[in-house]
Amino acid sequence: MPIHLSHFTAVLMDEVQIAALLFMAVVYALKIRWVLSYKAGKERTPSRGDTGKAIRYAYTTVAMPWELPSTRKHWFRWVEFAIFHVAVATAIGVTFVMPYWPKAIASPPVVSTLQAVFGLGLLAALSRLGRRIADPSMRAITSPDDAFSLIMLACWLGAGVLAAPQTSEPALIAFFGLTAFFLVYVPFSKISHYIYWPFIRYYIGKHLGHRGVYPAKAVPNRA
Amino acid sequence: MADHTSGSNEKAKAVVEAFPKKLNRQALLSFASCVHCGMCNDSCHYYLATGDPKMTPAYKADQVRKLFKYHVDWLGRLAPAWVGGKTFTDDAQLEELKDVVFGTCTMCRRCTISCPFGVDHALMMRMTRGMLSAQGVAPEGVKVVSNDQWQTGNQMGVSQEDYLETLAWLQDELRNEVGDPKAEIPIDKAGVNIVFVVNPREIKYAPMSLLAAAKIFYAAGEDWTMPSVGWDNTNFGLFSGDDKLGAHMGNLAYDQAIKLGVKKMVVSECGHGFRATKWEAPNWAGRDLPFPIESFLETMVEYVNTGRIMLDPSANRKPVTYHDPCNLGRSAGITEEPRFLLKRACMDYREMTPNRQENYCCTGGGGAMSMSEYSSRRLQVAKVKADQIKATGAACVATACHNCVDGLTDLIKHYKINIPVKNVCEYVADALVLRRAAHVTEEMPAELRGRSVLVIDDDPDVVTYLTTLLQDHGLKTFTARNAAEGIKVARRERPDMITLDISMPGRSGIEVFTWLRSEPEMTGIPVCIVTGAIDFRQLMYHRNVPPPDGYIEKPVKADLLLMTVRRILEIKLHKASPVGVS
Ligand code: SF4
Ligand code: SF4
Repeated sequence: MPIHLSHFTAVLMDEVQIAALLFMAVVYALKIRWVLSYKAGKERTPSRGDTGKAIRYAYTTVAMPWELPSTRKHWFRWVEFAIFHVAVATAIGVTFVMPYWPKAIASPPVVSTLQAVFGLGLLAALSRLGRRIADPSMRAITSPDDAFSLIMLACWLGAGVLAAPQTSEPALIAFFGLTAFFLVYVPFSKISHYIYWPFIRYYIGKHLGHRGVYPAKAVPNRA
Repeated sequence: MADHTSGSNEKAKAVVEAFPKKLNRQALLSFASCVHCGMCNDSCHYYLATGDPKMTPAYKADQVRKLFKYHVDWLGRLAPAWVGGKTFTDDAQLEELKDVVFGTCTMCRRCTISCPFGVDHALMMRMTRGMLSAQGVAPEGVKVVSNDQWQTGNQMGVSQEDYLETLAWLQDELRNEVGDPKAEIPIDKAGVNIVFVVNPREIKYAPMSLLAAAKIFYAAGEDWTMPSVGWDNTNFGLFSGDDKLGAHMGNLAYDQAIKLGVKKMVVSECGHGFRATKWEAPNWAGRDLPFPIESFLETMVEYVNTGRIMLDPSANRKPVTYHDPCNLGRSAGITEEPRFLLKRACMDYREMTPNRQENYCCTGGGGAMSMSEYSSRRLQVAKVKADQIKATGAACVATACHNCVDGLTDLIKHYKINIPVKNVCEYVADALVLRRAAHVTEEMPAELRGRSVLVIDDDPDVVTYLTTLLQDHGLKTFTARNAAEGIKVARRERPDMITLDISMPGRSGIEVFTWLRSEPEMTGIPVCIVTGAIDFRQLMYHRNVPPPDGYIEKPVKADLLLMTVRRILEIKLHKASPVGVS
């Protein structure tokens, strides 16, 4: 059962989150305006393919690991990616539910499920971190922001495991404290990639669709 | 990149200032989106072949992205080191960047289709090449070829006279081949169906593919023409990042097509040439074209589908595989047409794996063939492609790009695979069922008999082979076994033509060639390079002196040698009667 929270924790889970969320929303709006302030390159030639279909294809490849040569080859990393992002999305969802409808996610099966999801997400984060440390080609492209973001997300998911039962106030403080931190830091860090993703997929889909490259042709002999 | 200093910073300053202005939305997104996940690492042949962490696409892009992070990225402007931002403060840093963007990326885009975001490395590399080129920081070959395109309208500096004479000679060859004295290679014929634009390599060094195309047009009964100007479909603007050059080359071709009132433009088999002419140059030039542009591959498919040409695959019995040029497969959507044709023109077609938009680069893309300073790295990373070819078990390779033919020929030689590479149209032309029996002539025309050829080569077997072949066809020969002797005999005998080996003990063939081109009394003697080494490409691209008149790669094929010698002697000595310009 959810415990009784101190005033500090209650404010952290409510007003602080809302303020941080508003801050993030404003920065994201500005960021999108910033992206759109750059002129998009256009094709003057008649299209060779189905651009709409290609854009849809570009968006859906994220869920079709067999379509990209990289995810086909490194399927384990795709699974890791999926688990990690599902865990992060779930944790974000929890930060909205827990302060206002704590009982909705307090039953033991739900708590166990959340802990399992966060735990797997944490493992995925650690595996990614391990790769960045052990693999020289990954080390070479890892910036302090990359490493920091991953470590902080791992900590956040770890805090999520402890906070999910809503029985430990320190765990809740850690989880929501980190959430507030992320809401402010994320728009400036590499984690903001998901703001860019819909744009870049749209343009690459449109470009390759225009040229008849996307959707990828049926390739019976792909490696 | 290591930090060296040059003491000057004017160019670095100009690049830093140009960077934010060059960004469009797509480029911005490519710079901003990369999360350094490494999923694209082993999509790149440079990394696959070397295992060097500095050869991954993301690492290479980061050498430019650091500028984005430092000057454009929000957090980077406050704390650049935190996000990997850094600026350029010294011109020496640009030299290092040049090696990255020209020497370690062929702009093949294989990483782009591997990236879950679609980060476009080729776009970032081209943008950077453009900024560097604007400051004169580019490989010598890129500068020379770009300059030639500005000055002469074609990348090999072929003069109008040589162009027309080559076409006249090719017309004679066509007549011999098809056995029809009326067969034509028309020039500037107005109102025709097709204007055909080619790669200058087809005019200068490898006319077989143009001859094959002419034969196919003849067989299809096509109403076509070559343009007298604006005939070069290649575009170094794509490689150097210079949009103005890109637009200039496009405009030359488009203007002539409009002047002639043709119905469509057909681009010969050249990967980047097709991409630039069809897709990019209209954007660079800001033009909407009144005629469609298609690849010759599409034209041939239409001929087969409508029964205008018939193919007999028994003409090509050996197993053949197809290499997808990156610019066709990943940037122009041409993947099925060559397969359609090869399956009908050859008995045993074998797929290469991976293929189509996932194929590996031939390693000669992005203008790499013109950058001889990076040749050894190019051949090292070509192992990926060599292994791919070997795995097919094919006895010959087809491709649809002249750059790829050269790139593949070099790697095939380097990795001792020893199989030929030809363009798709050459396989199609060989399989053509003509109403008249084709007749390939190896005869030396009467007016060429008795002309003299000096063969300079240190290998006695090659000397014997070449001289026997040439003598059997009525030519007189002199021989020399090293550079010094070659120079002596050339001075004494003043031959009508010289065949020159490149790798010889003592002074190399490159030195002999430079000498021949610099001595006033020798400059008129045409030289054909006959070599097994790939260094000869620097003579084609780093042109301190005029380039050679032809080249033949060892092992020498008799028909190719005779054809090349005939072409060179006819054009240079006999000066075939110029074709009429209608
Ligand atoms: S796959 Fe894309 S996001 Fe990942 S490192 Fe490569 S370019 Fe960056
Ligand atoms: S574009 Fe091609 S050569 Fe360049 S980094 Fe990507 S895969 Fe490598």
